[in-house]
Amino acid sequence: MDKLNENVREKKEIKLDNIDVTPILAALIIGFLVVAIFVILRRRSTGRRDFLLTGLTEAGKSAIFMQLVHNKFSETFTSIKENVGEYRSGHVAGRLVDIPGHYRVRDKCFELYKRNAKGIIFVVDSVTVQKDIRDVADTLYTILADSATQPCSVLILCNKQDLTAAKSSQVIKSLLEKELNTVRDTRSRKLQSVGDDEVNKPITLGKMGRDFEFAHITQNVQFFESSAKDKQLSDLTDWIDRMLY
Amino acid sequence: MLDFVVIFTKGGVVLWNSNESGKNYASCINSLIRGVILEERNTESKYFEEDHLAVQFKLDNELDVVYAAVFQKVIKLNYLDNFLADMQSAFQEKFSGIAAQERLAIDYEFEQEFRMVLSAAEEASAKQGKAPKAMRSYNESQKSKKTVASMMHDDKKATNTTEKRVNIQESPPASKSQPASPPRTNEDIIQENRRKLREKLTPTKKAAVDVKPTKQSATDREKEKAGKKPRVWDLGGNSKDAVLLDRSKDAPEDVQLQSINNELVGTMQGRIRDLDVESDSDGADSEASDDSEQEEKQQQQQHQRRTQQQQRNQRKAKSGGLLSYFKGIVGAKTMTLNDLQPALEKMRDHLISKNVASEIAAKLCDSVATSLDGKQMGTFDSIANMVKEALTQSLVRILSPKRRIDIIRDALESKRNGRPYTIIFCGVNGVGKSTNLAKICFWLIENDFNVLIAACDTFRAGAVEQLRTHTRHLNALHPAEKHKQRTMVQLYEKGYGKDAAGIAMEAIKYAHDTKVDVVLVDTAGRMQDNEPLMRSLSKLIKVNNPDLVLFVGEALVGNEAVDQLVKFNQSLADYSSNENPHIIDGIVLTKFDTIDDKVGAAISMTYITGQPIVFVGTGQTYADLKAINVNAVVNSLMK
Repeated sequence: MDKLNENVREKKEIKLDNIDVTPILAALIIGFLVVAIFVILRRRSTGRRDFLLTGLTEAGKSAIFMQLVHNKFSETFTSIKENVGEYRSGHVAGRLVDIPGHYRVRDKCFELYKRNAKGIIFVVDSVTVQKDIRDVADTLYTILADSATQPCSVLILCNKQDLTAAKSSQVIKSLLEKELNTVRDTRSRKLQSVGDDEVNKPITLGKMGRDFEFAHITQNVQFFESSAKDKQLSDLTDWIDRMLY
Repeated sequence: MLDFVVIFTKGGVVLWNSNESGKNYASCINSLIRGVILEERNTESKYFEEDHLAVQFKLDNELDVVYAAVFQKVIKLNYLDNFLADMQSAFQEKFSGIAAQERLAIDYEFEQEFRMVLSAAEEASAKQGKAPKAMRSYNESQKSKKTVASMMHDDKKATNTTEKRVNIQESPPASKSQPASPPRTNEDIIQENRRKLREKLTPTKKAAVDVKPTKQSATDREKEKAGKKPRVWDLGGNSKDAVLLDRSKDAPEDVQLQSINNELVGTMQGRIRDLDVESDSDGADSEASDDSEQEEKQQQQQHQRRTQQQQRNQRKAKSGGLLSYFKGIVGAKTMTLNDLQPALEKMRDHLISKNVASEIAAKLCDSVATSLDGKQMGTFDSIANMVKEALTQSLVRILSPKRRIDIIRDALESKRNGRPYTIIFCGVNGVGKSTNLAKICFWLIENDFNVLIAACDTFRAGAVEQLRTHTRHLNALHPAEKHKQRTMVQLYEKGYGKDAAGIAMEAIKYAHDTKVDVVLVDTAGRMQDNEPLMRSLSKLIKVNNPDLVLFVGEALVGNEAVDQLVKFNQSLADYSSNENPHIIDGIVLTKFDTIDDKVGAAISMTYITGQPIVFVGTGQTYADLKAINVNAVVNSLMK
């Protein structure tokens, strides 16, 4: 027993003397790297870097998505799920999310992505906008009044300009302002009563007592015309690039 | 044979298609997606018809792809099921190796495989079609089985008939007892028994009964003496009684009695509030202090709950992000229907215990099964969780309205067009049609619309008087002086026994002439099986073409909800000779305060009609009207 003990002690002494520092250092470095990568990844995922394509169904969101992400025009149907893709321009990249426009799915889907949104692209069908103005304005109001979208920039994209019956962006802007004024009126009283909820509190848009104008709200709203079919999306890509740089 | 075959992602992007006829089938596929897949109805045979076209489809949850084949309705193609399955396996074989990010980018060359699969399927079906024509061998023929089988067959027949007989004997009493039982509640029986007991115990009663005839006979004798006199009924309709009978003008003392509830005024301005938000009253209202304290507590609790939920969600998201790094490394497993079955069974029972109609619960679970079948499962996911998540998602989807509901906005629009906005209320007896009509009326008045109530319940005793009382109440709460001398509520009535459709029509015309903004039409309650009444409802709707047809249903209802709504919708469609009949547009869910967390009726009703729940009645006062909160309902369902 004694012998054995001595042996062990001897061995230990030897080891302590010429201890090798490199594996410990390597372990430390690797550990640090893992932590650093983890932190970076988390910051990347929590930061606002998404661009959301929203709007009513059949406005052309999925077509625009395919144009921007995969640079091809393909036929599309009503989306059941969101499309997520990487948008690249030069050396910068952002995530593009195509939110389904159908009533049944869009609110839940929007809820999921709204906290990561850097910019919101609201796609409007320029042909049917006059007919569907109530639905368009209602959807837009829901998006603009959400407290999570206040830091976002908003682009209202008047799509399908290749068709002859398409309204110009100026007309659509005035139509929307007029209609949003009414929507604010029908909603305004409800908004005040939900005061107990800090986080999800919807915000009253514009200046009270005055007609609604896009210039009054906190988000920076811009209007562009486009056509996914004719690949006239340069305004949109410029806008996204400006936000990414 | 097949006009159009397409493969598209669940995101809506077409990956590959084959178009024989050169026509555009986009609208057909779109209505398939909206009418079937998004409505969670993808269980009832994967088949859909529109005009002269029919679509058969198959969901692929592994690649998140939908396969659909469009063909002429008149052609019966029996090989489609197999064909779609074969196409799926061929497609998976060729393209499942592609990374998820690249799936949309590449071009899909599938023409060759498609042709092969299609011709194989057609050949197989042709073979099948030809096969019976081949001569049968003796062993296959019926004669070979006759000697032994005939006896067994007879036996079976005998048992069958006995079973039938038993059924016949059993069914009539059951059907009889059902309608009889509901009115006889326990209390009635107890009271009846007590009465009998009393009769037994007290012989004096009998004596009293015996005494009566003698008294009567005495009076009779007196009458006989005086000779015959014309009988005079109280308030029989003389011109003298007109003053007493005339209730069209409010007696001043009535108004004074009714102005007690004034604190309600102003609480319902603006849009209908969500269910979970407690109706916070204005500070000026002198409510009991402990009441407000409770409210504060509740609000705090709600707040806490909400923040907790958010934290949980965040945590979930974080862990999801962390786990997803590992998911790529560790091999994933695909789910099969067999794996899902036990979890689904449990979920179904859970839903039924929450008062979801059993038929609907089964359908929902089937739908969840098809949406999960073949899905990749990570090592860290459990089946129970996946099922729960999928079910929550589809419940949210069912409850979310499929169109915008903003009655105020639409009423404003028709006001601008100079015509009244018309709402018709229908439903079975005793669910609260008139009560909730009055609540909705109050809400509309608070939002500065003036309302005409059309009393089209010309059947039940007291229905018109009830509405008149409501009208008087509401006018007392909102007197004309406060609203620029406009009378806010008027009642349009034509007494009992008249044709409801005619009254409604006159009312709408009257509203149009007198510039009333909204017309609320109250109809008589009717059971869904009563054909003549359903016909008259259908006529009422057809003739008046309302903006909104609301079905009023109580939240207490269980399996009956399915029958009620299906039959109402069916008869509205059947009995109206219109090409596209106006069916139920929305649901008013009443008595919601009585059911605690058993909110299943909300799911049953929205699932059957596909229409949103517009209002929820939550109490007795005019202010107890709320809008539904989808997340709150789903949370209490999944609790």
